[in-house]
Amino acid sequence: MRNILTIFKKEWDRVIRDKRLVFSIMLLPGLMIFLVYSFIGNAIENSQSDAQYQVAIVNPTDSFQTIYELIPTSATLTVVSIQVNETDSYQQMIDDGDWQLVIVLDEAIETYTGGVDKPSVEVYFNQNKADSSGAFSLFSNALLQYETLLSYDIYGDTSSFSTVYEGTPLNESEITGSLLASLLPMLVVMFLFTGSMAVGPESIAGEKERGTIATLLITPTKRSEIALGKILSLSVLSLLSAISSFIGIVLSLPKLLMAQSMDIGIYGFTDYLMLLSLMFSTVLVIVGLISIISAYAKTLKEATTLIMPLYIITIMIGLSSILGNGANSNYFLYLVPIFNTVQTMTAILTFNQNTVIYLVLTISSNLVLLFILTFILNRMFNSEKIMFSK
Amino acid sequence: MNATVRVEDISKTFHLSRKQQKIEQTNISTKKAVDHLSFEAYQGEIYGLLGPNGAGKTTTLRCISTLMRPDEGNIFINENSVLKNENEVRKTIAFLTSDLKLENFFTPNYLFIYFAKLHGMNDVYTKQRKDLLFSKFGIDKFAEVKIGDLSSGMRQKVQIAISLVHDPEVIIFDEPTNGLDVLTAKVVTDYLIDLKKQGKTIIVSTHIFSLVEKICDRVGIIINGKLVKSGTLDSIIDKDIDLETVFFNLFMLESGESV
Repeated sequence: MRNILTIFKKEWDRVIRDKRLVFSIMLLPGLMIFLVYSFIGNAIENSQSDAQYQVAIVNPTDSFQTIYELIPTSATLTVVSIQVNETDSYQQMIDDGDWQLVIVLDEAIETYTGGVDKPSVEVYFNQNKADSSGAFSLFSNALLQYETLLSYDIYGDTSSFSTVYEGTPLNESEITGSLLASLLPMLVVMFLFTGSMAVGPESIAGEKERGTIATLLITPTKRSEIALGKILSLSVLSLLSAISSFIGIVLSLPKLLMAQSMDIGIYGFTDYLMLLSLMFSTVLVIVGLISIISAYAKTLKEATTLIMPLYIITIMIGLSSILGNGANSNYFLYLVPIFNTVQTMTAILTFNQNTVIYLVLTISSNLVLLFILTFILNRMFNSEKIMFSK
Repeated sequence: MNATVRVEDISKTFHLSRKQQKIEQTNISTKKAVDHLSFEAYQGEIYGLLGPNGAGKTTTLRCISTLMRPDEGNIFINENSVLKNENEVRKTIAFLTSDLKLENFFTPNYLFIYFAKLHGMNDVYTKQRKDLLFSKFGIDKFAEVKIGDLSSGMRQKVQIAISLVHDPEVIIFDEPTNGLDVLTAKVVTDYLIDLKKQGKTIIVSTHIFSLVEKICDRVGIIINGKLVKSGTLDSIIDKDIDLETVFFNLFMLESGESV
């Protein structure tokens, strides 16, 4: 136990005493994520609020104006009245991207009484331009309402039945939970992995490359103590790195998802404790896997190269949180590493009733896997072929 | 007198990967790195393993140091078998190599204490050993300087000090002066002689004849994994034939290659 602590402390000091490493592993990920996601969120928001819809209408009517002015939009609306002979020049401007929409209303649109010749409405827009398409979408909606209004004037009540829309009351927590659950698990698993990658290979492959592994293995310290000491310290360091990223994500998500009212305070102490224990058990597995690859590799560079496919697989598994619909209910799947983390995190974030069962299954499975991985690493430290091959 | 290190008829065979077969220019998938090798080393002497690259010197030293296990035969350090009592053996030996590169980030002080703890040493004894070794190698002034900021000679001295942290009875040194500047090489060889005088058993591997002649009491010439000659320097060389000539004559005889 004393030797495990000695090795733990040395690996810990290797990172913690190096200010540059602390900054790049512990602080930078969270800071970068927060800044980048906030920037993206702001950019999306600005692009929407900055939109300007310039609309030219031939034969505009007051009732149509009342309708389109009531439709909510963040875009700045400029509507002008033009003559029918001006439409060609406005259409040209639309083609050139200098104007967004032309609507030609029939001059007899409000005097139609149900004859054969129905009044016409012509709409011209540029579907290659986002702002023109946006204006078209907004005014299509307005035109539909205008059509209903005019029909009502001619035919009276045009609806065949009265519809009452009712449903489950809006649950902000559930909506926020679902939003977070669709993104967070994949991102957390990714950051757990990158954190482990930043500290793991140097600890074992680096020692092999520098030859210090021989100095370590020749001490009376048991191989299993070396393996466990390294895995535990690297796991704590990787977890700290992942927590930094996690904080960055949580703080920037409302901005990114443009849900300013998103309240991450919906989760209580127990939820955060569950998330933390889940993340720690997962990082143990990831560090275990990275350690084994690092022990197999002859150099640091080879270790990093060999770890990449595992990283890609991890991201692909992480995608299951985006593609899936809530936590999977098949208990056996909670024995599959990484996938179980993604599913259990989804369950925690969406307040799933079976969360505790999923969490216990996942942590138990991860701990069993950690035991197996430590055993393998111990065997690898004992293997002269792996430790001293050229 | 009982031998401190007794190497008894050890053999070690390696599997060659296709890449290694290509480098070695052979179709055979195995290579016998050490072939029924035996020798003894006594307290207060320096035993030199002399041989060309790839002769099996490093493999032999790794087997003695418990880093590798011989396929056949056995090695005893103070009557403890490396196969059965490897932890007991590890308490009494040090393995040094000039290829070793300590982590740049740490200071000599930190690494010395780290390895002392792994050797189960208490704080008082660690300080005694540190003061002694750091003063011996002139490291004391650089004890808190990061390894990465030290000169290559000073780094080598730190590596030696750290390897000897637990005051081992047996010191195994693979190519002790490889890559060292002349001043550091002299410090190292002088210290090996000093350790010998303290009653340590030292086994070094080298391909440098002058080093063997300068520091070794006895020498074993190893060619293609076999110990072809072993004894005191006087018993190996004649009045008219120096060690280098003896070695090349043996090399041509054993390997069938001309030099």
